[in-house]
Amino acid sequence: MGPEDLKKVLHLLPPGELREEILVGLDTPDDAAVYRLDAERALVHTLDFFTPIVDDPYWFGRIAAANAMSDIYAMGGTPISAMNIVCFPCSLGMELLADILRGGLDAVREAGAVILGGHTVDDEEPKYGLAVTGMVHPERILTSRGARAGDALVLTKPLGTGVLSTALKAEFLSEEEIEAAVKGMAALNREASLAAGVAGARACTDVTGFGLLGHLAEMLSEEGPACEISAASIPLYPRTREMAGMGMIPAGAHRNRDFLQGRVEFAPGVDDVDRDILFDPQTSGGLLIALPPEGLEAMGDGLKEGKEWFRIGEFVAASRPLIRVTP
Amino acid sequence: MEEIVDAQGMACPAPVVKTREALQRGCREFEVLVDNPTARDNVTRFAASQGCNVEVSEEGGTFRLAIRKEGEAEEAPVETPASKSAARLEGKTVVVLSADVMGRGEEELGRILMKAFLNTLSECDNPPWSLVLFNRGVLLSVEGADTVPALSALAERGTKILVCGTCLDYFGLKKKAAVGTVSNMFEILETMLVASNSISI
Repeated sequence: MGPEDLKKVLHLLPPGELREEILVGLDTPDDAAVYRLDAERALVHTLDFFTPIVDDPYWFGRIAAANAMSDIYAMGGTPISAMNIVCFPCSLGMELLADILRGGLDAVREAGAVILGGHTVDDEEPKYGLAVTGMVHPERILTSRGARAGDALVLTKPLGTGVLSTALKAEFLSEEEIEAAVKGMAALNREASLAAGVAGARACTDVTGFGLLGHLAEMLSEEGPACEISAASIPLYPRTREMAGMGMIPAGAHRNRDFLQGRVEFAPGVDDVDRDILFDPQTSGGLLIALPPEGLEAMGDGLKEGKEWFRIGEFVAASRPLIRVTP
Repeated sequence: MEEIVDAQGMACPAPVVKTREALQRGCREFEVLVDNPTARDNVTRFAASQGCNVEVSEEGGTFRLAIRKEGEAEEAPVETPASKSAARLEGKTVVVLSADVMGRGEEELGRILMKAFLNTLSECDNPPWSLVLFNRGVLLSVEGADTVPALSALAERGTKILVCGTCLDYFGLKKKAAVGTVSNMFEILETMLVASNSISI
């Protein structure tokens, strides 16, 4: 569901209950909820599932599970257990479902967590995901709020999964041609989250359906900070620009753009294709981290070899509009 | 020849796909009708990327995109299904046979078709990288089957033939395997996962 529709529905409901154990609940636009158990431990809860983004059932399973667990990592937590959520038409055959679940299981194992069970529903269109429980120290929770002017903005995966999956659907590209994005979506945000914690991150979220700019907006407010990003510094999966230039822009990108109307300013020289990519909804995207400048070096050291991160902008004092994009 | 491509009510990327099909058919001047701004922007951008001139007009919620292909000089390559399939043949194609007949309905006809399919496959220019046999498909590879010669010819030409061991066991035919490698689910899955293209019969 687009951000605008979601907002409308939530307005119809009573506000979330207040309890001192609820450290992160319904009142903030965060990735997961956090419930304190005691001074040392808090539970992190999240849930995510969606329709197949790639044809290969095993990789779909891996991606869906990595995506669901990403919310835990975005809060600075560690997944401990998960439950499968499955909608599946039996006519597709049980081997196919087994492949999806095997993919999910491998991702959960890689995270060091366990699958405890799940629930299946007979449905025309397959959907898969996880409800995940994680653990975090109550004083080390990362939320989307907390960035300060002067902090660097870091992104830990390239952009482009919405554009590339649209191109896959249109048969402009084959699954092997988007292999880098498939592997990228299946990659866990675990190392990025650990490194962010070590580097003293002040705020963190993951980039998913609302696109880079939509999730960045959640880190900002009119009282400050605002943010400036450079389009040229944004990493993209191979062929993303080419496909965006051929009109492979998913409807979600247009919804995200409409929702952010008035809050983003593009400097002259940022071309239309780059603008659209910044609104592109991502599946299992990277973490978006606010790091104090002194944390940049530690961030680099904290990431395992081969894992990438990219400095894409700076937080600045309150300004309007909230986000400024330079070429 | 002027043509109208009606892509109203279609979600992206379908309107772009329809536009590409029109260009591939050789349309030089045509109109595309869409009913949402996303489709309007995407089709406009696609047409421009293919060297077309686009004029947009709106009436009552319908966007009318008049597309005209500019001169021959800078023809942008439009990938055709044919060029795509040529590219795929260079990759790793896996042919998956899960039955000893081709198609459903008439058993006898299915058997004739399957034999013809394998004979043709064994003689084609680009034999597949791998052939996977499971369930009743394994019956094609056991002693006495009239498809063994075609499978042997494929194996000689370098096609990796994997025969499901569990299936041979089930039919009690493990000792009768005449061609191919008796394989397990792990290897079969791995082969299918790394394949760039798979064809299921």
